[in-house]
Amino acid sequence: MTPAFDKLQKHLKQLPGLGYRSSERIALHLLVEKPARLPALVEALEEAARSVRRCARCGSLAEGELCGICADERRDHAVVCVVEQVPDLVAIERSTAYRGMYHVLHGKLSPMHGVGPDDLNLASLFERMAASGVEEIILALSNDVEGEATCHYLTERLAAMGHTVKISRIGFGLPSGGGVLYADSVTLKSALDGRRAYS
Amino acid sequence: MRLRKLTLRHFRNVVFAGLEFSGRQQFLAGANGQGKTNLLEAAGFLTALRSFRTAESKLLVGHGQSAAAVSFELEHERLGEAHVLIKLRRDGRELWCDSARVTRLADHLGKFPTVVFSSQDMLLVRGSPAGRRRWLDLTLAAMDAGYLAVLQTFSRALAERNALLKRGGADERQLAAFEQTLAPAAAELIARRAAGLLALSATLKSAYGQISGETEKAGLTYEPNFAEPSSDALLARLEVGRARDAQFRTTLIGPHRDDFQFAVRGTAAKDFASEGQQRSLVLALRIAQAAWFQAKSGVRPVLLADDVLGELDPERRRRFWGTIDAEAQVIATGTSPPDGALGPWQVFEVADGMFTEKPVGP
Repeated sequence: MTPAFDKLQKHLKQLPGLGYRSSERIALHLLVEKPARLPALVEALEEAARSVRRCARCGSLAEGELCGICADERRDHAVVCVVEQVPDLVAIERSTAYRGMYHVLHGKLSPMHGVGPDDLNLASLFERMAASGVEEIILALSNDVEGEATCHYLTERLAAMGHTVKISRIGFGLPSGGGVLYADSVTLKSALDGRRAYS
Repeated sequence: MRLRKLTLRHFRNVVFAGLEFSGRQQFLAGANGQGKTNLLEAAGFLTALRSFRTAESKLLVGHGQSAAAVSFELEHERLGEAHVLIKLRRDGRELWCDSARVTRLADHLGKFPTVVFSSQDMLLVRGSPAGRRRWLDLTLAAMDAGYLAVLQTFSRALAERNALLKRGGADERQLAAFEQTLAPAAAELIARRAAGLLALSATLKSAYGQISGETEKAGLTYEPNFAEPSSDALLARLEVGRARDAQFRTTLIGPHRDDFQFAVRGTAAKDFASEGQQRSLVLALRIAQAAWFQAKSGVRPVLLADDVLGELDPERRRRFWGTIDAEAQVIATGTSPPDGALGPWQVFEVADGMFTEKPVGP
């Protein structure tokens, strides 16, 4: 349409989840339909770009040195839950079932996609372990080949460093409130493999 | 299972076809290149959303079209009347069963068995190991979502390990991390293939005897690349092999290099069996596949015979028909009219992608 419009659309289209049509719609919305919203959006972007960064300890989002969770003294600092991405952390937080710490790897090992150990937020995890105080690590990585390999890699590295911390893996199985009938066969297999003594 | 209505839209050269089947035997008659095999290919797609002719589903969409669709109306032992709709696009496919979208292939497998008898089956005896592995994986996975899951885990772990090796200078710990998932999946795959081939071999043996009229024994022998179905043994072997694998930049050991052989009288059929013996062997293999599908799913497979009967001498042809399940629906193709001695056939004439039912003659 116009050079500036096309440039904006091109940048929007590069964002995850946006295709040609949706980026065009957003650009039209911002420039033509609701231009009044634009300054606030620009300001929000600038402010976020200036102040949001990774937490120095866990890798989650933070505006200071540490994120809200790492700075919270009331939480259990002896347990660290390792997740792949920030949204995984948010999902576990939303469950309110967990009061410990987190560590965000920002990915999982996948040589096919060119992701190696150096691309993951591992160094700061090993620093945390060396500083001690951590008694248990919960591996909440995805239940696929890459997630399993990352768990194994992490465990081996910790063992090689001489850490004797307790390591656990979250369970995989039936969703709560869901009947056996509606579970797919792969989930059922995983639930049967992971069954536990009932008493 | 009986296929009662089959509808194709923009599937290969078939722009539109709606065929209503009655009775147990259907015959598609027509010259070569008219679309007979395309119809069987579409019917066979029902079982595992795979074509028996190609691994690329984009080839199935008609020229210049964006999507193809195949719809099935079935009488089914377990589900009663069922309706399955498959939509194919160049980049993917959609499956609907009784108006509900099925998103996981695993939930579909094992319900709708079909077996294709194709003239290309001879390649299973003479061709490359890759062709035999593909057939074996399709046969075992089509009725068993557990096999498919193990196969997918194995393939993924193998691809990741190979990606590491390809890049060169791979770190031992990363290789070990992927071997931890690779080895148990490989061991289970080996065990399941061994068990599957043993069962298939037993049925093949009796079917071969009936078709060929020979008394000599036929069978299938599994030739695993790594014979021990033990995760620990394979883990140890992979670890020892790392240096060599790094040199070749690929994983040299494992079930991705498995093979199986057809044997007649204890010798390799591809080297020693005659043309006729090989033909009988592949027919017996397909009969064994049908028996396996029925045993696993409890559903009687629909048999799709693609021009295979024309190549048999009358004696063998008669014995072949005596061997197959007398209750199973058969949809056959050929250039000449079917054998009247085999009971009533519903005949469709095929020309340029059009199917016309031929009225029962006087």
